[in-house]
Amino acid sequence: MSVMTRDIHEQAAVPQPTQHGKPGGFLRHTNIFTGVITGLVLAIITYAIGSKLVPWGTQNATFQQVGYQALIAATYVAWVIGFMAGIGAFAGPIRWVLGHDLTHADAEYMAGKGQGKFRYWKYTTDHKVVGIQYLIMTLVLFGLGGFLAMLIRTELGITWAEVFTPNFYNSMIGTHGIVMIIAMIIVISGPLGNFIMPLMIGARDMAFPRLNALSFWLLFAAVPPLVSNLLLGGIRDGWTVYEPLGSQSPVGMIGYQICIIVFAFSTGIASVNLITTAFTMRARGMSWNRVPIFVVGILSAAIMGLVWFPMFQYSQILALSDRMLATSFFNPLMGGSVWLYENLFWLLGHPEVYVVIIPGTAALIELMTVFLRKPLFSYKMAIAGFVGVTGISSIVWVHHMYMTGWAPSAGYPFMLSTELISIPFGFLVLVMLGTMWRGKPWTRLPMMAVYAVIWNKIIGGITGVYLSDVPVDQYMHGSMFVVAHFHFMLMGAGLFAAIGAIAYWFPKMTGRMLNERIASIGFWVAFFAFQLTFMSMFVAGLQGMPRRVLQFDNAFNVSNWLSTIGAYCIGIGMVIFLFAVITSWRNGKPAPANPWGAKTLEWQTSTPVPLENFPVLPVVTSDPYGYGVPDPYDSVEKKMAEADQPVGAGAR
Amino acid sequence: MSAAVESPRSATTGEPVATVARRNRLGIWLCIISDATGTVALLISYVYLWSLNVNNQWAPPKNAFADWWPFWAIVAGIVMSTALIWWGIAGIAKGHKGRLAGAAVLASLILIATLVGQIVQLSTFPFGPSDGAYASATFWLCLATAFHLSLLGLLVLAISLRTAKGLITTDNHSHARLVAMYMTWVCISAALGALVATTMLASPNTQMPLFGTFTG
Repeated sequence: MSVMTRDIHEQAAVPQPTQHGKPGGFLRHTNIFTGVITGLVLAIITYAIGSKLVPWGTQNATFQQVGYQALIAATYVAWVIGFMAGIGAFAGPIRWVLGHDLTHADAEYMAGKGQGKFRYWKYTTDHKVVGIQYLIMTLVLFGLGGFLAMLIRTELGITWAEVFTPNFYNSMIGTHGIVMIIAMIIVISGPLGNFIMPLMIGARDMAFPRLNALSFWLLFAAVPPLVSNLLLGGIRDGWTVYEPLGSQSPVGMIGYQICIIVFAFSTGIASVNLITTAFTMRARGMSWNRVPIFVVGILSAAIMGLVWFPMFQYSQILALSDRMLATSFFNPLMGGSVWLYENLFWLLGHPEVYVVIIPGTAALIELMTVFLRKPLFSYKMAIAGFVGVTGISSIVWVHHMYMTGWAPSAGYPFMLSTELISIPFGFLVLVMLGTMWRGKPWTRLPMMAVYAVIWNKIIGGITGVYLSDVPVDQYMHGSMFVVAHFHFMLMGAGLFAAIGAIAYWFPKMTGRMLNERIASIGFWVAFFAFQLTFMSMFVAGLQGMPRRVLQFDNAFNVSNWLSTIGAYCIGIGMVIFLFAVITSWRNGKPAPANPWGAKTLEWQTSTPVPLENFPVLPVVTSDPYGYGVPDPYDSVEKKMAEADQPVGAGAR
Repeated sequence: MSAAVESPRSATTGEPVATVARRNRLGIWLCIISDATGTVALLISYVYLWSLNVNNQWAPPKNAFADWWPFWAIVAGIVMSTALIWWGIAGIAKGHKGRLAGAAVLASLILIATLVGQIVQLSTFPFGPSDGAYASATFWLCLATAFHLSLLGLLVLAISLRTAKGLITTDNHSHARLVAMYMTWVCISAALGALVATTMLASPNTQMPLFGTFTG
């Protein structure tokens, strides 16, 4: 991408509002610790007062203590409100209402200027800080979800004994599922969407910096209610928590519901921010046909999240209402319908798969051009792929309900739409293969991730086509085959793509080079272990082993043993990779500004990236994928040289 | 006079306020889209359960549906306050600073009265939230409107305070416009809720399914 620069800032000339106190105001006194303490104190007070007020003994139709449920819900809500107040999230809106507008000094303080590493523990608005916060949060969530996965595989691998009780086992399944889903949703859009995307389009920050901080800290507040479910009876019904099972579950389910409601706000706010940034803050000259593919991928995911997340949110609000207020949205005895829940749930639930996969795919397409030193194969086809997936993802949700009995005649149109989505997705694969065609790859870790993901996508994609067929799904649904399929898509395509993307942008984000030798060992251990784990699971599924059971026939023993060995090895691989990340981040070789010789804008600024991103804003004069294209000035010089030669020179 | 003085700039970023206003306008449109999906989820729930009448449990006991007029009175309150804010914005754009301040105060009062009306409606329904699917769906449509009204009350209060402080001016009144855009959406949302809650009463389905599938 050819770049010129221009200066727009004349900050000294801008009149400032009245400075109320020191820059930053109330936020000078808040951080994660004040947030946690305020949240806990408010939650404890709410529980203590509430326990005196609620009517103990009253039971609802499913024999749940009505008062106790209200108490738990109120405690969770108090935690969220208390935490957000304690971290300073309400300071901005209150200042706006009172007319105490931010000065430039306030904005700089809130962006973390001069606060060193402490800014990572505060309600900091700088997109780079928020990106790192998301990265750490994602690693924590993957650690938790991965640990639960190890426990699940331990139970399934020890076929001669029962390690956990069935209820706790089911709770681990549900918690593992939703923790990993949340982690996968944010793994690219959070860290890289926030840190890299504004740099990539030549912006100084996200469009709404305070909303950026709000989206992250809402996510932070949403996690404890979810995790605490394991202490309160758990989520026994898988991450989908279908009704009426959800309403009959212990109060741990309320933690899940509060988490989803808050997380949906977080995602909605983040989506608004990402979309607005991509649309309105691109550098001068960055027309839509010059926008890097990664930005388009993030934009697609943000649009899907913005439009469909409220459906998921409302499914949980209404489920909570059924539980707490005895309303009847999903209770057939009182006029509700369990299929209504499933429709609302899957209206997000399926686009969510693409919210996970699309940013990772976009990141890989982005980095492929760098490591192949080739122009992107058919930019327009890639755009068509993203647009097609974003559009069609909204009309495929019913394929999750083929076997539920809801509107069987809808199965065939939705089978068609589900198979149709493989066409735009195929465009993206074609762009990847076309870009690789006759390329001479510079095989570094990010490029290795491309190979791994292409393999995983082939397996996950083909098995997905099987499952989209109603007749095949009649046999396969609810089996380990389905579990293996979606792990190939979400983990195989999503997580391995994220690893490649993080390895690629690691130097820019941390200012250090990743130790690729150790990281690659971890990566390939995890990759081959992943194949062992989930190929064995395909076999178990084909043999007929149902999912979500901890006791099964001896016929499935061998495949489960292999899966468990594979899962432990995935864990070992991930720990090795994490070790490489942590040690490189602390003591790695300092990274130059552009270690890969890439052409996109984020690599054109210095490393570490300064607070204002660019000393002067760039102006874009060409597309970002001009690798290997002859320099036009070279060809002009050549033509001029040829023109100087006598006529007929060089002719046979 | 320099160009920087003629074109007001954002104190925090130094950009022209017109640039920031364009960005904010897209942001509010996106918030409205997200909010609209939530409203659509409630409307889908209402219409879905109305069309199915699962176990003949759609209607409340004794077919005691809610009166129609409170729904539309609440919509009228929101529409009036929204119209007032737009009128005030048109005024400030022409240089009448007092008009927006006055309109915002009046709109705040109307919104508070409307919120009180919404709470009265919720507490005087001839059914409880657990009296069948109609009761549940209607309660939640009204709760959504009550939530919107609370939010609007805060936003319009802020507009009146900021106008009084001279922060909303003829040159820079984009915040008032953003609030007005959101208020317009809330009018539509409340009207859609009122429309289904007052026109889709008795379920058309006389062959009630047991579990809520369209196959009966």
